Amino acid sequence: MGRLARSLRDGIGFDTLLVFFTLAYLLAFAGLPLLYNIVLSFQSVDMFALGSLFHEVTGLENYRAVFEDPLARTVLWNTILFTLGSVLFQFTLGFALALFFNQAFPGSTWFRGLFLAGWVMPGLVVGVLWNWLLSGDFGVINWLLLNTGIIDDPIFWRSDTDYSLLAVMLANIWYGVPFNMILLSVGLAAIPEDLYEAAELDGATAVQRFFTITLPMMRSTIGAVIALGIIFTLQQFDLFAAITSGGPAGSSMVAQYWSWELSFRQFDFGRGAVIAVMMIVVVLGVAAIYVRSTRQETRL
Amino acid sequence: MTATDQKPQIEFIDVDKHYGSFHALKAINLAIPKGQFVALVGPSGCGKSTLLRTLAGLEKITSGTLNIAGERVNDIPPRKRDLAMVFQSYALYPHMNVRDNLTYALRLKGVSKAERARKADEVAAVIGLDNLLDRKPRELSGGQRQRVAMGRAIIREPKAFLFDEPLSNLDASLRVRMRKEIRALHDRIGSTSVYVTHDQIEAMTMADHVVVMQAGVIEQQGAPLTLYEKPVNRFVAGFIGSPAMNFVPATVDDTGQTIRLDLKGQPTIAIARRFPPGTHVVAGLRPEHVDIGDPDAAGYAPIKISAVEATGSATYLFSDDDPELIIVAAGGHSARAGDTVGFKIAPDRVHLFDPKTGITLGD
Ligand SMILES: Nc1ncnc2c1ncn2[C@@H]1O[C@H](COP(=O)(O)OP(=O)(O)O)[C@@H](O)[C@H]1O
Ligand SMILES: [Mg+2]
Repeated sequence: MGRLARSLRDGIGFDTLLVFFTLAYLLAFAGLPLLYNIVLSFQSVDMFALGSLFHEVTGLENYRAVFEDPLARTVLWNTILFTLGSVLFQFTLGFALALFFNQAFPGSTWFRGLFLAGWVMPGLVVGVLWNWLLSGDFGVINWLLLNTGIIDDPIFWRSDTDYSLLAVMLANIWYGVPFNMILLSVGLAAIPEDLYEAAELDGATAVQRFFTITLPMMRSTIGAVIALGIIFTLQQFDLFAAITSGGPAGSSMVAQYWSWELSFRQFDFGRGAVIAVMMIVVVLGVAAIYVRSTRQETRL
Repeated sequence: MTATDQKPQIEFIDVDKHYGSFHALKAINLAIPKGQFVALVGPSGCGKSTLLRTLAGLEKITSGTLNIAGERVNDIPPRKRDLAMVFQSYALYPHMNVRDNLTYALRLKGVSKAERARKADEVAAVIGLDNLLDRKPRELSGGQRQRVAMGRAIIREPKAFLFDEPLSNLDASLRVRMRKEIRALHDRIGSTSVYVTHDQIEAMTMADHVVVMQAGVIEQQGAPLTLYEKPVNRFVAGFIGSPAMNFVPATVDDTGQTIRLDLKGQPTIAIARRFPPGTHVVAGLRPEHVDIGDPDAAGYAPIKISAVEATGSATYLFSDDDPELIIVAAGGHSARAGDTVGFKIAPDRVHLFDPKTGITLGD
């Protein structure tokens, strides 16, 4: 057998080959589009120019246009609100559920599994479900709120500018909780039981055990879950498309949806690219936190 | 002495523990005076850890009474029992350095930072961890981790120390050293200790009082030498002592004062007490109690040797028999495999057991 073939089978050659394919894949399908997107953001690209690879370079014109757009402030604010609100509640609810199911009562694993059903549904389906739940006239949520006396008049979630973003956020929180719960459950399960026992004998109450053992031992998991949560929330598109389409009057418009709307509704690919570039910068920052926290494993 | 001083520090009264339908502890009665070092010993799965964990409060007892320092603790949670435990895995807090591991309990109690640091230094000096206080557990060797686990227990000044096989992850020489250190520490602090081990030598060398368990039952408890000299049954006799006692079926002779061993050549040995002739018994012969001599000499019964192992300090002779006999001779011995030697045992050193129940006969 040739030396190359042997190296491919059980030597360093095979490893190199695997790395090469992965890198080539990433470069072709992630790296190049990313670069091209940056290039687009400095060019004037409309529907008629879309067919050619090179376009008229307009410098920072697209950036200026985006920042001066009257919608820009709303979109920035909405994006921050949507992301932080979603992640905050997905995380706390997910963590609470993970702690709950970690108690290992009869059927706990089975129940935990059920929660995944929500997660495997396509975003558009979830959006349609929530459209029903949130419906102003016959929605379950209004019915509940009215019957418990929390509100006196039905809320028109999707068409009221005060509630439209909240409507999508509710759906997104529901959609993201199982993911948070599962990852946090894995982190919880990795904490050895005898640490809790030692802490208990050392005099720690349940609350003290949570703050001195569980939380510090979960630091890297929590960092990873929150980073992934932010990234996934910044990618959330389907729910906006299904529930509010960014409206009414831009009241639920967020960056990712605006980018799509500029590019594929108004066919201003340059400005769509500008928003994408800025989101990439944010995501890179969050990804750096993610990498850091997965590296800092505090295990024995 | 006041009345409370005479009460046992730890007391199990008719304690039972069930895991579902599995009966893990059966009618445990055990009283441990203050200051005593008690070893729980028995084969793996006999319920030693379960007993220790019920004492700690990590497992609830199903019935019976458990008292600590005269107080019934059946329903007291672990954190209020004021016991310190050294786990087999050490269970050090991985995210805390050695100092924080040592002082965790003090911190929960609200002891000031300065006082905690002082205590940590003091304990670190006692257990020899002076230079390691800022290290994380993962940066320590197995032996050092073991010491941190010990330090975390003694810093508390608890009502009792519980140890669950604390040395089983250490290498042999370190284990022997730590055995002595733990016992010395116990004596210096004057604490009460309950020490679980599957290693009877550890139990015998460290403890004042040894509790032998099997299948959730206490078979016998007492001073180490009492267990060795007067085992109440065949299980204890076989478990205590190394190498283990030889068990040979035998029949009492017509005189009632000798027994015929069911071995090749039907050797006869004298026993210290008189039994009805024809009684079937099991004779227990400790390997180190058997004398080797000339097979033709008076009082010696012949036995054929199938193998010889010399360790220098002792020689192990294995007989060509069923059951195989092990005989230990101190120092070296000239016997070779295939030789026939004579063996003899003092009558008062022959243990006799009921073949059916395994209970010790006589006394
Ligand atoms: N949580 C549990 N549930 C069911 N059975 C258990 C549990 N813990 C221990 N046991 C059983 O109880 C018996 C005694 O276990 P243990 O006390 O750990 O033995 P050991 O003497 O080796 O320390 C074993 O047969 C074990 O399988
Ligand atoms: Mg055990």
